[in-house]
Amino acid sequence: MVIESKAVEATLGGNHILKGIDLKVNDRELLGIIGPNGSGKSTFLKCIYRVLEPSGGAVYLDGKNLKEYTYKESAKSLAVVAQHNYYNFDFSVKDVVLMGRAPHKRALDRDNAEDFRIVDDALKTVGMYDFAERSFSTLSGGEQQRVILARALAQQTPCLCLDEPTNHLDIKYQLQLMDLVSGLDRTVISVIHDLNIAAMYCHRLYALKDGKIVGEGTPRELLTPEFIREVYEVDSEVVTDGNGILHILFHPAQKKEEVCV
Amino acid sequence: MSSGTIKGGLFKGKPTYIVTVFGLLIALPLSLMAAVTFGTMDLPIGDVYQVIKYELTHIFMGQPFPEMWAPGTAIHDVVWLIRFPRLVLAGAVGTGLSISGVIMQAIVKNPLADPYILGVSSGASLGATLAVLLGVGISFGSNYVGMMAFLGAFLVSMGVIALANIGGRANSVKLLLAGSALSAICGAFSNFVVYIADADHATTQVVRWTMGSLASANWSNNLTIMAVVIVGTLFFMTQHRTLNLMLLGDESAITLGTDLHCWRILYLVVSSLMVGFAVYNAGVIGFVGLVIPHGVRLLFGTDHKKMLPISALAGAIFLIWADVLCRTILPGNEMPIGILTSMLGAPVFIYLMARKRYGFGGGD
Repeated sequence: MVIESKAVEATLGGNHILKGIDLKVNDRELLGIIGPNGSGKSTFLKCIYRVLEPSGGAVYLDGKNLKEYTYKESAKSLAVVAQHNYYNFDFSVKDVVLMGRAPHKRALDRDNAEDFRIVDDALKTVGMYDFAERSFSTLSGGEQQRVILARALAQQTPCLCLDEPTNHLDIKYQLQLMDLVSGLDRTVISVIHDLNIAAMYCHRLYALKDGKIVGEGTPRELLTPEFIREVYEVDSEVVTDGNGILHILFHPAQKKEEVCV
Repeated sequence: MSSGTIKGGLFKGKPTYIVTVFGLLIALPLSLMAAVTFGTMDLPIGDVYQVIKYELTHIFMGQPFPEMWAPGTAIHDVVWLIRFPRLVLAGAVGTGLSISGVIMQAIVKNPLADPYILGVSSGASLGATLAVLLGVGISFGSNYVGMMAFLGAFLVSMGVIALANIGGRANSVKLLLAGSALSAICGAFSNFVVYIADADHATTQVVRWTMGSLASANWSNNLTIMAVVIVGTLFFMTQHRTLNLMLLGDESAITLGTDLHCWRILYLVVSSLMVGFAVYNAGVIGFVGLVIPHGVRLLFGTDHKKMLPISALAGAIFLIWADVLCRTILPGNEMPIGILTSMLGAPVFIYLMARKRYGFGGGD
């Protein structure tokens, strides 16, 4: 499935956050969105998963305007792993993942054996099957993140939308989760904070700054020391290791020259 | 946390849940049959059942009454016109209140919500008071008092949610403050109307509402409230997925295919109907909607598929026995049931409030 955004603009509380985003995610591509804090990455993602309506432009799934989809239809096309999943009530891990089946159900449908099989499979995929009966709120941040990913998998959508999926995870699970996502063979759009993770897994990257796209390309094309300096205002070195993997090494921030007036 | 083992429900398995529902389905009529033998008047248990037997064969098979048990005899009237309707009302009100507690907790995403705590019952009470004393809403027809109670409940529900959302998203503190503020306003206006109306007979009726009592139960009103409560409960049982999504919040719900906005309004209307008719028939009975769902959640977890049927049955059984206690605890006199439920329920509320995780704590 192809996700396309045409001239998407967003205004939040009077601030013009997104100033016309044109972007295309190809079928079965893992696309990363990078950019400094406040660049509008998460806001843009919210426009794609319909929590925020663009104030201009539109998002298209397979060429059809997202607005023309019912919420149920779009939830069958696109699953989301967002940040901050804090719940005031205790659900078991299984209950949480079972909610991923909600878009496939009508009010009177029962949860059948097929649904439970899908839930079990999703939990096994993220390595949380042994936690099925545990209460969601007793899990660590990283475990919760994996359960939410399992819920997204249980939605069985052709597209996945991830907002900093590796947040809260220690490095083992960061790599595990990204390995898992890149092995899914689905269209994935993900906001990624860590440039090294982005370089390692994404097929293509878009860089956002001040609500505009300032660069696009494969990690190797895009992530040059000059570009990183321009976007993030830090000095870095980009090296390729023996396995052909790109690494970005950052230099300590230099002290600003003091200007006396 | 030491309570780690009970989170998500003590009895998680499906068999326990089904066994529990069946157990409660059997316990409900048994409770009714047992509770009907208690009362201020000392009646032989066998006679009580004779009356019920002849009434039921009369209703369902059209058999005539034997003279000794016919309507008009003291024993018939005590059992069939006083005790039994009162217990049926207790069951209906108990179900209505605990289901609307479950629904309100889902709508405001907070386990501290309850029709009484959020002031919804006071709203219903004000609506009913206006109807009885000033004849407001008489154009609604024969059930106009119930309709006015529903309107009061609905307006207060909307008001509490609107008030709690002023200046940022609603949280527990704002909800509780909004609830007690609106409850105070409704209480004040009810008292004002009672004071200026100065009609003795009506004042006793209003006092009954504020304390909560099942004493005025009669069959014709029972049929209406039973219809409202049963239809409402069955409706909510079809909505268990959306109710679960409500607890995750608007954003997660949209990504899972449901826009909660319209559902929230519809659920408020249906639960206000249940609260309105409960208050109209039995007055303000607090904390049932808090205690029952809390207990059920503790034992069976948060999933509404299990919560709703178990809370409905447990609420009915709870209020039937609470009414028995009210009729027997004071010798020769009976205690308004609202007093009893508040005595039992308020400590549970304080306990919930004191547990940080449950409401005031956290980032929401």
